Amino acid sequence: MEYFSKASDVKAQGKPVAWVTVFTPVELLYALDVYPIAPEHFGALCSARGFILDYLEEAERSGYSQNLCSYSRCSLGYALSGMNGLMPPPDILVTFRNSCDVYVKWWQSLHMHLGTPLFVGEAPYVLASEDLDNYVLDYVVKQLHQLIKMAEERFGLRFDMEKLAEIVKLSDKASRLWFETLKLRRFHPCPLGGRDSASDIFPLVVMQGTEEAVNFYEELLREVKERVSRREGVIENERFRLLFDGIWLWYAFDLIKYFENKGAVFVYEPYSEAWAYRLDASKPLESIARKVLAMGLNVDIDLRIERYSESVKEFKIDGAVLFSNRSCKTWSTPQLVTADILEEKFNIPYLLFEADMADPRQYAEAQIKNRIDAFLEVLGET
Amino acid sequence: MYVGIDAGASATKAVIINKKGEIVSYSIVPSGINFKTSSEKALKKALTTSGQSLTNILYTVSTGYGRTLVNAKATSSEITCISRGVHKLYPKVRTIIDVGGQDSKAVRVNETGRVLNFVMNDKCAAGTGRFLEVMSSILGKQVNELSTLHFRSSKPVKISSTCTVFAESEVISHLSQGSEIEDVIAGLHEAIAERIYNMSSRIGFEEDVAFTGGVAKNQGFVDALSKKIGLTPTLPEEPQIICALGAALAAVKKHKESTNYS
Repeated sequence: MEYFSKASDVKAQGKPVAWVTVFTPVELLYALDVYPIAPEHFGALCSARGFILDYLEEAERSGYSQNLCSYSRCSLGYALSGMNGLMPPPDILVTFRNSCDVYVKWWQSLHMHLGTPLFVGEAPYVLASEDLDNYVLDYVVKQLHQLIKMAEERFGLRFDMEKLAEIVKLSDKASRLWFETLKLRRFHPCPLGGRDSASDIFPLVVMQGTEEAVNFYEELLREVKERVSRREGVIENERFRLLFDGIWLWYAFDLIKYFENKGAVFVYEPYSEAWAYRLDASKPLESIARKVLAMGLNVDIDLRIERYSESVKEFKIDGAVLFSNRSCKTWSTPQLVTADILEEKFNIPYLLFEADMADPRQYAEAQIKNRIDAFLEVLGET
Repeated sequence: MYVGIDAGASATKAVIINKKGEIVSYSIVPSGINFKTSSEKALKKALTTSGQSLTNILYTVSTGYGRTLVNAKATSSEITCISRGVHKLYPKVRTIIDVGGQDSKAVRVNETGRVLNFVMNDKCAAGTGRFLEVMSSILGKQVNELSTLHFRSSKPVKISSTCTVFAESEVISHLSQGSEIEDVIAGLHEAIAERIYNMSSRIGFEEDVAFTGGVAKNQGFVDALSKKIGLTPTLPEEPQIICALGAALAAVKKHKESTNYS
């Protein structure tokens, strides 16, 4: 909330505001003094606060199909309805083609509706970690230079490498603190559950490279460490430790509580790790380029499965909950492959259910709770 | 006596058993809009049939969509109840396909009746009893007539839409083009069988395979699904009460646990 109102203040001072997709290197924008805000974050917020339908329906009235991603419909509806809410209008639209298949066309559509300048970056798919060291890295670095040039020319700004190095240092620190916090979830009882991890991730998504983010994660780490030392868990009687695969259901956030009331706590989610990445301040641009490549879903399924396998052991996972998200085909398509591996290799039962991350109309509460009950009963018998 | 109540989306079922797990009586009533009323009605009916009174009941477990709205000491999920009910009657069964009013499920169990894995339909109602209810009302037939008409069909039509709403217009278009009503019915049974077959294939069809749920009373559907899977299913005499039976068996277990503790 504060972050959106700050965007409006910044804009009132005459500084440019960028609408970015969430796997855009915001460190670079902060270094340029361009304020980044993420319509995806806005979509999650509108959904959690219960007013997303205003924007979804606006998009649908303009002809956008309900089968499209709900985050995209939300921001398109917002753009088409005059942008009178929390999120100030953009001065530039920035996206990288990494992780999400919809980004480019979505940002192009915003560009067509609003006439705002558009920057599209391209990040090749990463098949193996060594890919990061070959030509693709130069390719992404070159594009970062293009983005710098575009911002300098458009807004009369001057890029300062030293400032970027400072920001990169802060971003790295926030990621390090967050990784350290997440690791504490290996303890019994788990000190940080899904409800916390889902909301605590936001500073890392949109405020990487700021002092505020670092302060937030320092404070959080301290708090979680204290909980561990007091052996204070999210729930008193921890029966099941679960993995959650997917984006959270923002409008039905209480679903996590429903699990917790039945003795099940979420101890690991790939979502929570998606924005954390260690950076090297001595090579700021190259380091950011690596991050652009390796973030979120831009990596091969084998690399993801490797991480799942590690996490199963590290966090002592009993079961997996896979949320097949109507909005996010990129995330949902490989879920069965992942589930098979979890089941065959680690004998981990899974639950797969279907809904949408932000559109409450795609949610059948009774049916989903029915499945959760059955799943936890099955887990209880094993 | 022990009671299991299955407050389903379409019907509420009550089963009374003795402590050996033998069925004493049962009843099936429409769920309507109030699970509390329908469950009371179902229980009263089952009590009357068996000549039992409320005071003889030691423990009640509820299951189904309305499970939390029913007056019972504990609740259990349908998946566990169905598995328990089937295992009691048919211990050789390893795969259960249950088609109810709003849900279809496939469950894999081991030799002790424990659930190994399960799948359920997604949010859509196309592979459920609701689908057949909607279709029979369009055709102006009762649901219990579908079976007889199914076996009169010589060339079932192909219903390609998986959506209940679109399938409705497809049915109307088949009829207006002169298709026989029995061929449309057989086509509908094949469509729903195909959907359930596709869903269940994820967990496989280890034998024996049992069909349960209200829709398994429709022989036309049973015929279509058996052909699709390519085997003869185990079919309970009253497939609609298996889940409630499982709940009653859970009641025996829970009662034993509670008396052991006290």
